[in-house]
Amino acid sequence: MFDLPILLQIGWTSVATSTYYVLFALAFALTLKVAQVWNFVQAGTMGLAFYAMFAAMLGWGWPHPAGFVFGLAIAIAVSMAVEVWGYRVLRRRRSSPLLLFIFAIVVAEFVAYLLSLLFGTEPQSLTKSLASEVHLVGGVAISSWDLNALALTAAACAALFAFLRFTRQGQFLYAVADNGELAELYGISANRAYLIAMVIAATLVSVGVYLYGTRASMIPSAPLELMLLAVIATILGGIGSLLGAGLAAVFLSVLQSASILVIPSQWQSSLTYLVLFVVILFFPTGFRVPAWLRRG
Amino acid sequence: MSASANPAVAIRVVDVRKHFGGIVVAENVNLEIDAGEILGLIGPNGAGKTTLFNLISGIHSPDGGEIWLRDRPLGGLSVYRRARLGIARTWQNIRLFPTLSVLDNLLMGPRHYPGEALFAGLFQPGARRAAAQAAQARAEAILARIGLETVRDKVPGELPFGQQKLVGLARTLMNDGEVLLLDEPMAGVEGQVYETIKQVVRDEAAAGRAVCVVEHNVSFIRDLCTRAVFMFNGRIEQSGTVEELLASDKLAELYFGGKK
Amino acid sequence: MEYIYSVLILIGIYTIMASSFNLIIGFGGLISIAHPIFFALAAYASALLNLRLGVPIPLAIVLGALFSAGMSVMLSLPSLRVSGDYLLIASIGFQLGFVEVIKNIDFAGAASGLTGIESLFSGPFRSLGFTVTILVIAAAVVWLVHWLTHGEYGRAIHAMRDDEECFASLGRNAMAIKITIFAVGSGLAGLAGALYAHYFQFLSPEQFGIIQSALILTMVVVGGMGTTAGPVVGALLLTALPQVITFLNLPPSIMAPLQGMLYTGLVLVFLFVRPAGLVGKKLRQ
Repeated sequence: MFDLPILLQIGWTSVATSTYYVLFALAFALTLKVAQVWNFVQAGTMGLAFYAMFAAMLGWGWPHPAGFVFGLAIAIAVSMAVEVWGYRVLRRRRSSPLLLFIFAIVVAEFVAYLLSLLFGTEPQSLTKSLASEVHLVGGVAISSWDLNALALTAAACAALFAFLRFTRQGQFLYAVADNGELAELYGISANRAYLIAMVIAATLVSVGVYLYGTRASMIPSAPLELMLLAVIATILGGIGSLLGAGLAAVFLSVLQSASILVIPSQWQSSLTYLVLFVVILFFPTGFRVPAWLRRG
Repeated sequence: MSASANPAVAIRVVDVRKHFGGIVVAENVNLEIDAGEILGLIGPNGAGKTTLFNLISGIHSPDGGEIWLRDRPLGGLSVYRRARLGIARTWQNIRLFPTLSVLDNLLMGPRHYPGEALFAGLFQPGARRAAAQAAQARAEAILARIGLETVRDKVPGELPFGQQKLVGLARTLMNDGEVLLLDEPMAGVEGQVYETIKQVVRDEAAAGRAVCVVEHNVSFIRDLCTRAVFMFNGRIEQSGTVEELLASDKLAELYFGGKK
Repeated sequence: MEYIYSVLILIGIYTIMASSFNLIIGFGGLISIAHPIFFALAAYASALLNLRLGVPIPLAIVLGALFSAGMSVMLSLPSLRVSGDYLLIASIGFQLGFVEVIKNIDFAGAASGLTGIESLFSGPFRSLGFTVTILVIAAAVVWLVHWLTHGEYGRAIHAMRDDEECFASLGRNAMAIKITIFAVGSGLAGLAGALYAHYFQFLSPEQFGIIQSALILTMVVVGGMGTTAGPVVGALLLTALPQVITFLNLPPSIMAPLQGMLYTGLVLVFLFVRPAGLVGKKLRQ
């Protein structure tokens, strides 16, 4: 059961599949950090992006890049609408966090129902065949999907990092994350920062959903469950730390895959929920990341 | 650290420090509030005075040092437990409950609220009723003492500022405890309200409570406080009698930015 | 006639659910979407206690409700110690996770469900007996929630919602109040669940999904959060509405998501247009 080739394979594959989780986690962590909102609407954005891509690629026969852009456009449009006509309105009314939660959850649920009405509940993927070219490296099967996923995710993370660290808008996001009112006094628009954060999150999520859809199959209720891992990763990585969220997402994905070695497969999905409770009980403020790393 | 040998000391703050991120809001703070005295806590805005109150009442935990209530260390005790031990405070922005009447605001104040423990109340209705009646009587007595009987059924939003301050003070008196921390009780207040508050503070100290007042109003401090402490940038720069402090050049420089 | 009884029984059950959920979210200000799970926990517990251990049904129902209340503490205590936000997160996990776990537990019927549950009443007046019992219990629950939220305890709840920090500085234990409210609300949901189990005599994990949370939330928001009559109005309206939709005779693959969209859509409309709900005057935002 524990022989090396199997371990290596599981290790490699789980890291490869952690890519979309990383993107989902980063998106969630970003909106939480900048706008201080638990953006469960993200599940809705994920679903809409996926099914938009699905409709374009498999319904209208568009090539993948075009289909992806279409899905991305939908995701961004929806996120902007939710921010401008949803969150902003509720914020202006000084609504309690309770109402913001209700709003976010309900929008996510509404989208899930809408999608199951429009597309049914049969699992769908973005490609007709999920198999891709496989190379054997030292006994470990490495598929071209794996390599693409890692490359795309690395590029996305690098772009995100560069934006946040080196551009003025990125600095503004940090300023608003730190203290929205103070940032306003310096002429930084908090609303604009929230909007930008939502747009970036929509972009990350679109890439993630594309990766997921080219490897696994999606049903309308899946995004809410995928989100849960993103939420756990955000908490475990320490709220406010994007690097922490990303690392935690990788960790959780590997944990989920590796669990097949020790627990029967029927209990595997329950493991995620168990981890959630463990995290809330023992690591609500995150797994101690050294302060100098937290600035990520 | 042993308990204070002097039984008159109600609150002892020992070597307390506190920082938020990179900002130090309290450093090397040592302070005693004696039973029966009115200690003045003065200093410019941002000096750390309210932070000190927050540390004593338990809203923040110090990063270093200890705080004692008589012979009992307060470390680790939550806010509501410290209140039940007899530490009561007011707030700069009053903070009355807007949806409750004046009387109901006061009825939230006693150390043990009769309606709070649901199940205990269900199983011991007699005790609960007695406690509720006692609280009601006490609240009405305090309202009478402060001259608020006429507004007992009004909601805070209907009251002028001065009366709201009086209600805030009255609510604190319901605690009937050892320590009274008053955060700028005189801010924005004048005339009869000023006199009432002054008298109440005097009476409470005379009754043996340890009173600490954060104030900018110099005449109030001169009238009421015997000792005072000057804070600046989270540190205690000077302590002594009120006269000593008010005559000090150092204080003038830090507070007013130059010689008087 | 049988149809009318079952509608009335559903109204009764949903009134209990909506009222108890309103206690938690409308008065207590705690958000959780796991309410249907406490309904389910007691339903399963009561059914199994009676089926496998021979516990008499009325006692099983009470034990089931207490079981739900106890489990709710296991959820609320660690979560609330951190913050209210965590209760929501944990409840989402609880909601999704419970369905997963039940699917794998064989003695509870697993995914195909638990059948053959004993009925509380039997004989020719079974449905009538149930209807009267449940409506009486529903009325009692509404009265109980009203009593809890007015009077001394209610004042404390309002003060806590107004300004929790100040509340604590007066010596009030906000945590204890929140956990108690959550436990009472969840226990009442459990009561509804156990009654449901012994009337409909069949339980399966699908009955307790997100759509139930959406439905109950809609009842409370549309009816009016933080009012006594709101959840009753909401329960009436939203038990009747789906019945109307059923008459449209749409295929289930359309009906189910349509219902879901209706519930969630209603919440969104009311959230922006009339946050106080149908009954409420001024929403405690």
